[in-house]
Amino acid sequence: MASGDVQSDESLYPIAVLIDELRNEDVQLRLNSIKKLSTIALALGVERTRSELIPFLTDTIYDEDEVLLALAEQLGTFTQLVGGESYVHVLLPPLESLAQVEETIVRDKAVESLRALAPQHSATDLETYFISTVKRLAQGDWFTSRTSASGLVSVCYSRVSNHVKGELRQLFKSLCQDDTPMVRRAAASKLGEFAKVVEPEYLRQELVPLFTNLANDEQDSVRLLAIEAGIAMAGLFRHEDLEQQMMQTLRAATEDKSWRVRYVVADKLVDLQKAVGPEITKNDLVGAYCSLLKDPEAEVRAAAASKLKDFCNNLPTDTREQIIMSQILPCVKDMVGDMNQHVKSALASVIMGLSPILGKDNTLEHLLPLFLNQLKDDYPEVRLNIISNLECINEVIGVRQLSQSLLPAIVELASDAKWRVRLGIIEYMPLLAGQLGPEFFDEKLSSLCMSWLTDHVFAIREAATNNLKKLVEKFGRDWAQNTVIPKVIQLARDQNYLYRMTCLFAINVLAEPCGQEVTQRMMLPTVITLVSDPVANVRFNVAKTLHRIYPVLDSSVLASHVKPALDKLSQDADHDVQYFASEALEMLPKA
Amino acid sequence: MGTSDLDRQIEQLKRCEPLAEAEVKALCLKAMEILVEESNVQRVDAPVTICGDIHGQFYDMKELFKVGGDCPKTNYLFLGDFVDRGFYSVETFLLLLALKVRYPDRITLIRGNHESRQITQVYGFYDECLRKYGSVNVWRYCTEIFDYLSLSALIENKIFSVHGGLSPAITTLDQIRVIDRKQEVPHDGAMCDLLWSDPEDAVDGWGLSPRGAGFLFGGNVVSSFNHSNNIDYICRAHQLVMEGFKWMFNNKIVTVWSAPNYCYRCGNVAAILELDENLNKQFRVFEAAPHESRGVPAKRPAPDYFL
Repeated sequence: MASGDVQSDESLYPIAVLIDELRNEDVQLRLNSIKKLSTIALALGVERTRSELIPFLTDTIYDEDEVLLALAEQLGTFTQLVGGESYVHVLLPPLESLAQVEETIVRDKAVESLRALAPQHSATDLETYFISTVKRLAQGDWFTSRTSASGLVSVCYSRVSNHVKGELRQLFKSLCQDDTPMVRRAAASKLGEFAKVVEPEYLRQELVPLFTNLANDEQDSVRLLAIEAGIAMAGLFRHEDLEQQMMQTLRAATEDKSWRVRYVVADKLVDLQKAVGPEITKNDLVGAYCSLLKDPEAEVRAAAASKLKDFCNNLPTDTREQIIMSQILPCVKDMVGDMNQHVKSALASVIMGLSPILGKDNTLEHLLPLFLNQLKDDYPEVRLNIISNLECINEVIGVRQLSQSLLPAIVELASDAKWRVRLGIIEYMPLLAGQLGPEFFDEKLSSLCMSWLTDHVFAIREAATNNLKKLVEKFGRDWAQNTVIPKVIQLARDQNYLYRMTCLFAINVLAEPCGQEVTQRMMLPTVITLVSDPVANVRFNVAKTLHRIYPVLDSSVLASHVKPALDKLSQDADHDVQYFASEALEMLPKA
Repeated sequence: MGTSDLDRQIEQLKRCEPLAEAEVKALCLKAMEILVEESNVQRVDAPVTICGDIHGQFYDMKELFKVGGDCPKTNYLFLGDFVDRGFYSVETFLLLLALKVRYPDRITLIRGNHESRQITQVYGFYDECLRKYGSVNVWRYCTEIFDYLSLSALIENKIFSVHGGLSPAITTLDQIRVIDRKQEVPHDGAMCDLLWSDPEDAVDGWGLSPRGAGFLFGGNVVSSFNHSNNIDYICRAHQLVMEGFKWMFNNKIVTVWSAPNYCYRCGNVAAILELDENLNKQFRVFEAAPHESRGVPAKRPAPDYFL
């Protein structure tokens, strides 16, 4: 490409620089230039982009991976810059090269761009150019190009002649039977989408055997991708065909010797359930699900547990309750005492979902004991998952019933001897507040929240103040005035300086959500009283608190109340009081 | 060294990241100016929270501050043995020292028997400095500061606080006040005893200490000391107690121990003693920091810039 020609026109000078930089030795400069490739193309015009830029790019494919990745991405959006859909095929040669490089992410990006370009070809161009590219890639010497080919078959299949379709199916078959597992993996991962575009008779005759083979591959990494494809394919069959053609293989997968394959089954079980319908679910999947819930590998159990709610919801309504009670619930009961915390945590995140399915009586009799157990679990995540889903049983058994059964356990944890357990419960309070509403919260939990303000442990007192802030943000200023502030103000008269300071720390965080009027009327006077506290720590925290709540106060109050207080503190005998008072005075907004 | 530098260093040390050698040197010089003014029986006002041995268990000391409140929100008196045995003696001592320099009226540090050149060469602090800094300069700066640490504290004239205990050479507080403390801990004599002695139920009067330094002393010794100096009780550290604190001799002396799961294997709880402004006392018992709140174990090689 002759950059000299471009330079002659001065307006094109910046473009010339970009073009030069495409060849610069510095990777960063080349990268920058590639990212502005569309600007270059626009300046060159469609003609020269096609005749000069694209061939140039095709020739310079041997670059750093970073540059290649950017190039592969850019070319996918280049159609208009080469003259529209009738010329889109000129983009194929550079992408074809990029689809063969060693670095996976570059190849994947090239395939992604090729897939985006495929529908932009006319039917003729597709067969003339695109199919040739696919064929060359599929027959490449290196697994890299054959891997890329696997992703291109399904995007062009439906738009080509029957003859070419036959060739493509043959090509895909050979990819599925490739010697290298990398290619078989790529083919297996595209089998599902290919199945959706292939005609039903070929689906049965050709793709099912491919699936069966891949699902029995010696490599578990191939098998697990095949199972995913199989689940996608299952939705394409009528039920009797499905039983005959696919179920044996899918059933076997739930007992695969590799846990990774079983994990995929557990993870995709609900999709499979939807694809196979109620009969096969009842006869096959319930048993399979129960065995996955008891799997020796914790990862599989956790995946199965997390599907509990969805799987049960999708059971046929006429037999749902009976299946859950007789087959699934016994497994769930065992799982509450599982050794692995991730399993228990996964279970806790969905177990409450059984409540609406099973109704009030079953919930009270069978589920509540399990919830209580999990609420007392050693792992905080398990407890959190239960507490954050209280809402769904609230709807089934009502808030009164809930308060009798579960809240005592929560209150018990709230006064646990270990402060970290108490801390855990405090952190759930805003969540509970949202679920229970202000009246119920006041009745049952407000006093608990206030009692934490005088906890023996500093970290709890600190968390208690932050909790109050969140509650006020939820329930509003009126609630704060009636419930929170009187209690907070009381602390200013405590015998112990640690609790008088807690009063200040609470005001620090409450001032903002309470707003100017409430802060000035109810809290500021208390802060000012503490200016003459006998303990220096309290006095310098008065200075810090005043400093912190400046933005909430109006300027006349700052001048009439705050400044005199700080002036007094800045004359204090204690060095730290002086320091923090002077610091606050320096930052005092000028009236 | 300005206040903002110090505040930054305190934040850094709270993350358990040691200071650079030059910063340690400057910090120690500043600390020396403050400590040299303190009495051998340093006057401390209530309210204050008293803490026993820490022994380089940095994350457990952070746990202590979670329970007791951060300095300067809460006033603290540490009874010595900041270093040795734990993995983070450097960070532990430097954090306490930086707090002392930043808030001299809010925190008091007195000397323990491990704040000594000889002992730290055997029990870990020397090796830790060498490993973390590649030289023993930081150990030299710190041990020089040790010589300036006060020997005891007197809270509101009522509670006498010392690392170890009493000495047969001492009957009045004034006798402590006249000791020339700016030296390595001697092998015997009053200064040694204050840092090394232990109370013992089975002893009447004075007994030989199995530690090889200091003495064992009985209830009558404590009674007469408290009486003649008009104090309510003695608060000391120095001995592991599984429950974190232990009263002896009819509430005339209490041991406070603040290193939970001592040496990461003793299984004990720790305690601090909170005194409010009226000298009401509350022991706050705490456990070792949970595993997940501890940093990566200190097996990392020394960073290049230290070398």
